[in-house]
Amino acid sequence: MESPQKPLELILARNLLTSISTPSFLVDGEGTMVFYNEAAAAVLGRSFEEAGQMSVDQWTETFGPLSGDGDALEFDELSLTKAIRAGRPAHGSFRIRTAHDPEQAIEAAAFPIVASPEGSSGAMIMFWPHEAGDSGNPGREAEKAGDPGTPGREAEGTADPGTPGREAEEVPG
Amino acid sequence: MKLKVWGARGSVPSPGPEMNRYGGNTSCVQVTFRDGSQLILDAGTGIRALGLELADAPRVGILLTHLHLDHIQGLMFFPPCFRSDAEITIWGPSSPEASLEDRIARYISAPLSPVEVRELPCSVAFRDAPATEWRIGDVLIRAEAVTHRGPTLGYRITDGDTTLCYIPDHEPALGAPLGQIEREWISGYDLASGADLLIHDCQYTDDEYPAHVGWGHSALEDTLTFADRVGAHRTLLFHHDPLHTDAMLDALVERARSSWAERGRAPDEIALAHEGDELEVVGAEPLAQAISDASPNAGTNAAAELSTRG
Repeated sequence: MESPQKPLELILARNLLTSISTPSFLVDGEGTMVFYNEAAAAVLGRSFEEAGQMSVDQWTETFGPLSGDGDALEFDELSLTKAIRAGRPAHGSFRIRTAHDPEQAIEAAAFPIVASPEGSSGAMIMFWPHEAGDSGNPGREAEKAGDPGTPGREAEGTADPGTPGREAEEVPG
Repeated sequence: MKLKVWGARGSVPSPGPEMNRYGGNTSCVQVTFRDGSQLILDAGTGIRALGLELADAPRVGILLTHLHLDHIQGLMFFPPCFRSDAEITIWGPSSPEASLEDRIARYISAPLSPVEVRELPCSVAFRDAPATEWRIGDVLIRAEAVTHRGPTLGYRITDGDTTLCYIPDHEPALGAPLGQIEREWISGYDLASGADLLIHDCQYTDDEYPAHVGWGHSALEDTLTFADRVGAHRTLLFHHDPLHTDAMLDALVERARSSWAERGRAPDEIALAHEGDELEVVGAEPLAQAISDASPNAGTNAAAELSTRG
């Protein structure tokens, strides 16, 4: 059975992600990962053509996100997920599984794609892997400093547009 | 389903002796359905002459793809707008920024216009094109956003077993390898899928396109690839660049047919729209054939070619 055409805003978002070198992926309104770009494939160690579309369960099981302890984080409970579903952008720090590193630390910024009053039709998520010895990252530095943080708690936060000037929270896991 | 092309030019009216055969008026197509009802696709400058033939029509429906000037410029000179007995309904793309009426009123208002929308003697209603299929009489209409600059729709119009798809401004190849990408990721795919006649943007030659990427229009090969992917039975190339003379467009259609043949398709399935073309679209079988030639150069227009070759 043929899949219906994606909404134009998702098509355009994919076109954008295809054209940039920031690792990025695209989810639809159900949370299905419908695309990730070549830069993301380089981090994940697997091309999108090889992986194909993945349901929420599939991609969270395959890639994560994971807590600082390496435990799987519940997708629906992530404040990042909740923010996107509320039509707000979000930013957070996680660990993910890649072909090269079972606990690759990343930062991720997510932007809801809203084209109608009915709500978002998906989200673009851009992420940046933390290199060894990475500096300038509060979460990483906190980890280095042995900040116990909140063990088991998801390591991410959201930017609340309702509080102008407020910076995205960074909560080390 | 019968069509008449009243304007096939893109961007800006381009009159001149070197443009006579394809015409210089901007986008406007009249569609007549089995029950005799009509719809007008876009209101470029071609709609002015069309309006002169609608002297007795009490109701007029216009589907606007978007509000760029080459698709609305004729509205202010559309004779039914100045008849008190005329009821005009205009559908167009919605926008979070302002209503359809308010956006069109930016053109039909001072200092660009001597009259305001509220001063028009006709009864005119502005409606956002619904997000789901809707009917006007027996005709089923579907509007969807397509890749162009600003909110822009394409239309799929079905009357019985015959389907017309109208996407005059479209750049589906923007950032996407049209030949390889999965169909679900192609802008306009569902609108155009299996259409008996696809009227589609073909503003640029392949050589011109690299300097116009992102301008919202298609190059010839991208148009053909789109038509091929969606399985359109026939394709009418539309929205001609204002710099393209008759001679250049003749060369373009020859190149188009040659390329179409290389794809294993029949060359006569491709034509360039001429102002004055009258076509009959029939489901499944030869999908477009001439019923007459209203252009000043009989025998050379797209309809005639489709008829004799089809």
